[in-house]
Amino acid sequence: MLAAPWVCQRCVRSLGRIRVSQFIRRASTDSAPRTLPPALLERARRLTAEHDQLRAALENDFDPKKAKRAGELGRIAEALKQFEKAKTALGELQALLESDDAEMRELARDDLEATEAQLDESSRNLSVALTPKHPFADMPCLLEIRPGPGGTEGRFFADTLFKMYKLYCANKGYRTRVVQYEASDSDCQTGDEGEVALQEAVLEVQEPGAYGLFRGEAGMHRVQRVPATETKGRTHTSAVAVWVLPSFSENAGSSESEADWDNPESDFYIDPAEVRTETMRARGAGGQHVNKTESAIRLTHVPTGITVSMQDSRSQHRNRDMAWRLLRSRLAQQRREAREEQVRQLRNSVLATHQITRGDKIRTYQYQQDRCTDHRCGLDTHNLPDVLRGGETLDRVMESVRTWLVNKDIEAVLADEEAAAAAAAKQTK
Amino acid sequence: MPRLPPSLFWRARKDISPFAPVLLPVCRDLTSTANELRWIREHVRDTPSPVPDQLRVWDLVEKRGKGVPLQYVLGNQPFGDLDIRCRPGVLIPRPETESYTLQLASLLARDRPPPSSLSILDLCTGTGCIPLLLLHALLRTLPRPVPITVRGVDICPHAVQLARENLRRARARLSSTAGDLEGACSVAFLQHDIFDPSLLRLLANPEEAITTTTTTAAAAATLPQPLNPGLDLLTINPPYISPRAFARSTARAVRNHEPRLALVPEPLAAAAAESSDSTLEPHDVFYARALAIADALRPKRMLMEVGGLDQALRVVRFFLRRRRRRPAEGLFKTVEVWRDEPAAGDRGERMAVEGTEVTVRGEGLGRAVYFSVF
Repeated sequence: MLAAPWVCQRCVRSLGRIRVSQFIRRASTDSAPRTLPPALLERARRLTAEHDQLRAALENDFDPKKAKRAGELGRIAEALKQFEKAKTALGELQALLESDDAEMRELARDDLEATEAQLDESSRNLSVALTPKHPFADMPCLLEIRPGPGGTEGRFFADTLFKMYKLYCANKGYRTRVVQYEASDSDCQTGDEGEVALQEAVLEVQEPGAYGLFRGEAGMHRVQRVPATETKGRTHTSAVAVWVLPSFSENAGSSESEADWDNPESDFYIDPAEVRTETMRARGAGGQHVNKTESAIRLTHVPTGITVSMQDSRSQHRNRDMAWRLLRSRLAQQRREAREEQVRQLRNSVLATHQITRGDKIRTYQYQQDRCTDHRCGLDTHNLPDVLRGGETLDRVMESVRTWLVNKDIEAVLADEEAAAAAAAKQTK
Repeated sequence: MPRLPPSLFWRARKDISPFAPVLLPVCRDLTSTANELRWIREHVRDTPSPVPDQLRVWDLVEKRGKGVPLQYVLGNQPFGDLDIRCRPGVLIPRPETESYTLQLASLLARDRPPPSSLSILDLCTGTGCIPLLLLHALLRTLPRPVPITVRGVDICPHAVQLARENLRRARARLSSTAGDLEGACSVAFLQHDIFDPSLLRLLANPEEAITTTTTTAAAAATLPQPLNPGLDLLTINPPYISPRAFARSTARAVRNHEPRLALVPEPLAAAAAESSDSTLEPHDVFYARALAIADALRPKRMLMEVGGLDQALRVVRFFLRRRRRRPAEGLFKTVEVWRDEPAAGDRGERMAVEGTEVTVRGEGLGRAVYFSVF
């Protein structure tokens, strides 16, 4: 029992409470392969052989096409070399473990852990190298933010998210441009931190490779908090949708790049005849007779029914340019998704829950618990203000999502290889 | 104009802002009210001033609410990639003008073989928006840089002054993108009456132009050579509204705030003699004059803005009759009518005028008549 006859309850409680400002719990359902499956290893060996052959051919005469392919395969060859090295080291250590010398065994046991970690890492590197890069990964991107159905609370949070990404880009030093920012600003209604009720916003991150960085951000972002408009202190849940679309720099046009939109093969190609343009036309004679300021423009891609409307700029010409770019991006994304869907159905084995399309809820921002949880990689962070400031914590969340995505891609490649091997085995029978 | 229901004003106040009901009577609907308010706020935010922002917003909103065109309230209008300054007394550039100007620029840039030099003349230039946008677009799209001479002519001294100001602004913008290339180009704006017979002499002999007009030293330095002899493009956006249509069909903002000089052709004795042809109406005088100037300067292409399909067809008919009467002077082989959006393409629309098939391009209302020697 306590020596003191009575101790204040609150003091006892405060002694018991441990203040943790930065707390990260990893509760991932993630399953990175510990050992490399033979199918993948086989593939790596094959590609490395091709790489060596190409190198030999290149020494005699230079061919830019071959050089490009060799450069691509170089990554794999390097990773395989590292892997083999780690594997031989491990083999030697294991041989040492069997030796009679007790001192040697001790030394080997000390080294074993480090070498195993090295092997793990090199096998992961190899799988990453084998995973095909996302075709849009090197491009800049457009972040489209739109509140889900419901009241102003969702709109306020959409503005919070918009600011978060803007600040994140500013912290990281990425160039951004606000393409569209539509808010209904009734003066009586602003959120706690001066957010406005956002209806739609598009932010362009002009950094090359931004698509690869922000790819994991696409999806439904859920918020749980007591809104500024709530009088009875109830927690509300609302959702904000974020789309990540590939963009192209304005002076794109090299025939090598993915973003060559004059090429009918490209995902970005749109036949102008398939697009219906609607403008606000002034009644009457037009021209010098009227002086309209309506510059809104709406494009409809007839075969898919995608519409884009733009009224941000005072110039119809500029609105039209932006609308076309947005339409191209959306269409390219849709085509890509359709193709991935097709591939997935062909594979027909892995449940591709990681297919990030529009519907899935991917992240929760819990204000009362000061928590931001990503539901895919299972990362919990407890520094919500820093996340919303676009600080390091957000960077960590995004990084872990990227790792998770890469692991899922590896799984997909694995499944592909196994399916191919199975098909080959069937044929030989 | 139909009366707006009071509920709309309430909704504007509730959904948009307390400023919105002031703008609503001129904007007529909630979306464009919200947009205009946003543009006013953006303008205030982008132009720093010691006066508090909210006060300036209120000031501009009030001005706009009285019916002053937004372009005069804010003092500028985006035109293509340029930002054209606008001031009361000079016509505001229209989006239709923007469309055909960009179309013309892409036509000139697509010429094969590429031209070794270009010269452009714009009559009734106003803010100078057409020649400046042409220059800007051509410098960006031509396969290789060529020297370009550009001249703009306007009767109104305010307009010429404003056009020169716009030239300075466009130059600052160009020098950041096109660099030294812009040095090979010469741009100048002259104040002159296009009905005055001395215009042609002035264009051929710029020394005289400097002495007779109130050209500043800076502008004089930009007149190193006369207009290139082979004129490539002649554009004109003249006043084309009849006094009757001005009173009846023009928007209130246009009628009350934009210069009548730029909208309604004044009856002129000299012009009346030129357009004695029965195919033209009194308010088509500028087109007859422009064709006469084209006879002297022999441009490869010419574009005239018109106020509708009727006027376009009148001009075409006048041109065709004139060519038949005096075949030596009519050097244009093709004549086309362009609608508001000429870039929308040729949908195979043809019209028979005077027994000749005339191509009608694009979508919208008849907006321009295009002539070319090709």
